[in-house]
Amino acid sequence: MTELIISQVVNGLVLGFLYVLIAIGLSIIFGMLGIVNFAHGVYFALGAYFALTLHDSLGPWSIFLAPVGVGIVGILIEMTLMRPLYGKEPLLGLFMTFGIALFVEELIRTIWGATGHPFNAPAWLSGFIIWGPVLVTKYRLFVLVVTVLILLALWLFLHGTRYGRIIRAGSRDPEMVSMLGINLKRVFTAVFGLGTAVAGIAGVLAAPLWSVVPSMSESAIMPAFVVVTIGGLGSFGGAVISGLLVGISVALSIQFWPAASTAVMYALMILILLVRPRGLLGESWERFE
Amino acid sequence: MKKKITSGSGISRRTLLAGAAVGAVQLANPFVITARAAESVKIGLLLPKAGSYAVQGEIGQHGAQIAIDDFGGHVLDRPIELVWLDESTPQATQQNMHKLLDEEKVVAVQGGVSSGDVLAIMPVAERAQKLLMATGPNATEITGKNCSKYTFRVDLPNKVTVNAVYPLLKERGKKWYFVVASYAWGIDAYNQMKEVLVKDGGNVVGYDQAPLGTTDFSSYLLKVRQAKPDVVYVGLGGTDLTNFLKQMKEIGLTNQVALSSPIVNDTDLWAAGPDAAFGTYPKIWNYTGAHMTKRSTDFVEAFRKKYNQPPESEGWQDWFGMTSILTAIKETKSTDTAKLIGFLEEHKFEGYKDMPIFFRNFDHQLVQPLLVAQVKQKITDKYDYFDIKSEYPKDAAALDTAYGSQAEIGCTFKS
Repeated sequence: MTELIISQVVNGLVLGFLYVLIAIGLSIIFGMLGIVNFAHGVYFALGAYFALTLHDSLGPWSIFLAPVGVGIVGILIEMTLMRPLYGKEPLLGLFMTFGIALFVEELIRTIWGATGHPFNAPAWLSGFIIWGPVLVTKYRLFVLVVTVLILLALWLFLHGTRYGRIIRAGSRDPEMVSMLGINLKRVFTAVFGLGTAVAGIAGVLAAPLWSVVPSMSESAIMPAFVVVTIGGLGSFGGAVISGLLVGISVALSIQFWPAASTAVMYALMILILLVRPRGLLGESWERFE
Repeated sequence: MKKKITSGSGISRRTLLAGAAVGAVQLANPFVITARAAESVKIGLLLPKAGSYAVQGEIGQHGAQIAIDDFGGHVLDRPIELVWLDESTPQATQQNMHKLLDEEKVVAVQGGVSSGDVLAIMPVAERAQKLLMATGPNATEITGKNCSKYTFRVDLPNKVTVNAVYPLLKERGKKWYFVVASYAWGIDAYNQMKEVLVKDGGNVVGYDQAPLGTTDFSSYLLKVRQAKPDVVYVGLGGTDLTNFLKQMKEIGLTNQVALSSPIVNDTDLWAAGPDAAFGTYPKIWNYTGAHMTKRSTDFVEAFRKKYNQPPESEGWQDWFGMTSILTAIKETKSTDTAKLIGFLEEHKFEGYKDMPIFFRNFDHQLVQPLLVAQVKQKITDKYDYFDIKSEYPKDAAALDTAYGSQAEIGCTFKS
């Protein structure tokens, strides 16, 4: 039994990284723009569908180009539908993103059909590695590495570059940054594009594991919200810790009480919010208080 | 100064227009009466539009539409109108059932992929005394202890599919692992198969329930792998089954154990792809094979022509369900529920399968042969995944017995 528990904990950690990857884009957009993006799941789904479509003509390049395509869609949506809502009642943003989610999911169903599409991982990533009681598939290890690299790149970008400092400053005090002569509109557009592109990467990487169907957005959005809420809205570190916690909790509940494996992440969220209403590493933001 | 515009006779323009409108209504009156006579026959459809079973929902709707096309879009010289509302959770489906009956005034309702949803709407149909044609649920109790005079079921009860597929699976070994969806259908499938297995000397080496809509089965599969079963029996459908198959491949279990489920939809396997799809399954129908009749072949052709792909099981089920409702309306020349029920209880439908099929009058289960199908070793066609291994039962004489006697079924209609 101990061996199986160790195996489940490691599997939960790996699953947690997949949850983190799905949640990062949501965290970026909320953390920088203050938008609770209900449409996050459809950018995730678009990533998978773009890769599927581009794969026939572009082969492995589709994996890189699909998230770029999703980022472009995100930029267009930000410029046309989201921008007019900045500074207005936050509820409008919620309604808008909810509407976008429903519309894009229907669009996916219309273009690609309701039937799922096969999507295989490349042959060099098939198979698994066994260390004692622990079994990890090569593909999930690959997802873990990609997630860590994305997190590192984002951290370096936000903390080590001038552009990143502008984004962080703009997220805290947009008026002050504007007064310094910086065009915040462009910054916000770029951040929205970045967040949606990361959601697209998550969609591409989840496609060989999960069903590629229009409703795949629904399977992504709830874990992403739970991870971001537990971690603290807008906190990268919080999202990582939270994703891993959720992954381990789900894996262990499957070991001992499988029927509750979905409920356990919500129970964890309730528990943590009772103790820390802003989430694990959530900070007090004057803009949103 | 603003002038009052009048006609030459001194009547104001407004009065003239009002008079013209009244006159037009009078003239149009015969057409209003005609339009009322051609009021549509509304039939409700409750199938999923989103979630794990969304694909089955769409294909089921397509099947129902082909049945309407077969009737030329009319019955009793009135246009047929299909009103499709979403089947999602038992509560939401129940609300939509009320909407169909109370607001849309449908003459009958068809649908229900999930047994949990169907069990929730059966009492609504009974209270409203309207016909419910349950095309997609499999939980045994729907035509068993929870049966209803107003509900007819097209799909197969778990008890029958278990008996059909067990002889082939038992050859693979006695150690079985069960992973089932944590609602009526999955739990019933486990109970039915476990009873047969244990009676035959087999062992349950693991049993897990998975919430409907589970995306990641990796932790379940670690347990399965550890238990080293001969057979994995999964009460999973829709995207859940697709995810399970994809992740079995990921962990290297594809074709390493025998795999089966209480029923299967082709779409779940199409989505998993040829590399991940495997197993032996009971099927209500398959679009290829020696069992095909002329009428079924015509249905496949019509479906292909309209939707550019062959129909899978759910399409056949909803095609047949809608055909039976429309046939009942046509033959009884009525939309009266009592007359429709009377017709369906007595009628034998010929040409839909390779032996006549019928709804039993004591439980309203469609008695029909089913197929035991195995995923092809090498899949070369995008849609053609199955080899038909056998038909169950093998002859028409054994058909009624295969579905159990009234005493075994335990169904008693409320008077």
